[in-house]
Amino acid sequence: MARILVLVPFPLDPDQLSLREKQLDAAPLPDGVEVDFKPVKAAPGNYVSHHDYVLADMSLFEAGLKAQDDGYGAVCIDTVSDSGVNALRSVLDIPVVGPGRTQYAVASMLGRTFGIVTMWKQWFPLYEKVLSEIGLANRCTGIRSIDVIPNNRTLMAGKDHALPLLLEAARALVAEDGADVICLGSTTMHEAHTFLQENLNVPVVNPGPLSYFIAEALIALKLSQSRSAYPKPLVPKFQMVHEMLDGAVISEGPA
Amino acid sequence: MRKVLVLVPFALDESQVAYREAQTRTVSLRSDVTFHFKPVKAGPTSVASPHDWLLLDIALFEAGLDAEADGFDAVVIDTVSDSGADALRSMLDIPVLAPGRASLIFSLTLGRRFGIMAQWQPAMVRYEKVLDEWGLRSRCAGVEHFDTPPDFANLITGKEDAVFPKMENACRRLIERGADVICLGSTTMHQAHGYLSSALEVPVVNPGPLSYKLIEAMLSLELRHSRNAYPKPLVPKSEMVHAMLDAAARASGV
Repeated sequence: MARILVLVPFPLDPDQLSLREKQLDAAPLPDGVEVDFKPVKAAPGNYVSHHDYVLADMSLFEAGLKAQDDGYGAVCIDTVSDSGVNALRSVLDIPVVGPGRTQYAVASMLGRTFGIVTMWKQWFPLYEKVLSEIGLANRCTGIRSIDVIPNNRTLMAGKDHALPLLLEAARALVAEDGADVICLGSTTMHEAHTFLQENLNVPVVNPGPLSYFIAEALIALKLSQSRSAYPKPLVPKFQMVHEMLDGAVISEGPA
Repeated sequence: MRKVLVLVPFALDESQVAYREAQTRTVSLRSDVTFHFKPVKAGPTSVASPHDWLLLDIALFEAGLDAEADGFDAVVIDTVSDSGADALRSMLDIPVLAPGRASLIFSLTLGRRFGIMAQWQPAMVRYEKVLDEWGLRSRCAGVEHFDTPPDFANLITGKEDAVFPKMENACRRLIERGADVICLGSTTMHQAHGYLSSALEVPVVNPGPLSYKLIEAMLSLELRHSRNAYPKPLVPKSEMVHAMLDAAARASGV
């Protein structure tokens, strides 16, 4: 039995969480794989500034700290920003999968180049960060935004007008920028995946579901992140991290 | 049930193919996907020169050409040289997995830099070519070999005690040079994976089994190579390719 924990980067109510869990419907995982979604305790309002990035890193780090003790075989992060991944890798021996770096790697296996289609320009620095980190920036031929403000809780609900815009942007990535493969700029765009794949003649990578398959593969292959790339802390301060997030919850007040 | 064709780059007999098939038993695979191994009709004796690479390209291309028509849902190449993969992608609409580039790129999701363990000095130049082609040189800590001629038929069988420590030493040199992850430079090294994984403190990527898990994921997610990167030929000559390999098999006395 492989148990995978997916960390959700916002404190969501059950209805909002179920929109994230729908990513499991994209493709059936192998028999015996169990996936649980867990939202963070507190979070930044969105992911558009370095202020937000550091809060996102902390909240996801805290949410995943006990995953190994809780019996999970792998952790996935439900954001292509790969927030919290590096810190979690430094303290967990089980694989921690960042869907951002994973989708750029897999896109590079499917074509020479890839492009990223996304909701708004404010997310561009997150892509550039992960692309530089994994060393595949030279394979990304373009990032295009449709400039529709996303909602990290209701996802694409009420945004049907965004679908043709996303398609137009993805077509421009292929025709004008030379992208062989399209990557989605957010796991929250998973509801647009089927529409885009049906209307494009190049592969469209759906980062959330892909990350679950890669997590299962890592468990099966008994592979995990390299300890030399992600060294353990000399003095772990887990209790401090938990108390910081408890403090953040109090500061936010009742939901 | 979905069927994956694994193309073996040498004209091996049944018992020799079995050494290759053993790779599928080192990892848990989905029960609804089956793997079928098929050797090429003819090919080079070594993989050390552009002469060999070219022969390997066309041998594997021919071996996989009819995969889709034969009812297979995907193709995996059983060599990290990725020989024949690009040509097959230009002809087939089913996914074709190239374990060489897949294992190097995949290793970047596990660490900052990878090191490649090569078989022996004549194999080194091939990795240099791959690193340049894929622009991965800045992420490669080095390529080291363990100075042992390859045995493409029997792999490491019967030579474990002599060869495994030499492999471990080559990996340790890579770690000293800054490798966070070791990539085995050939699917024929798979028998050493368990030993090396236990002995070393960094992840060791076993390209064959990794390629099976990746192809499972690609089949489930309905992903395949981009036609823009691998356009179809204007004038396909499949019959000519088959005739060439039939002639090659006659020339090698098979």
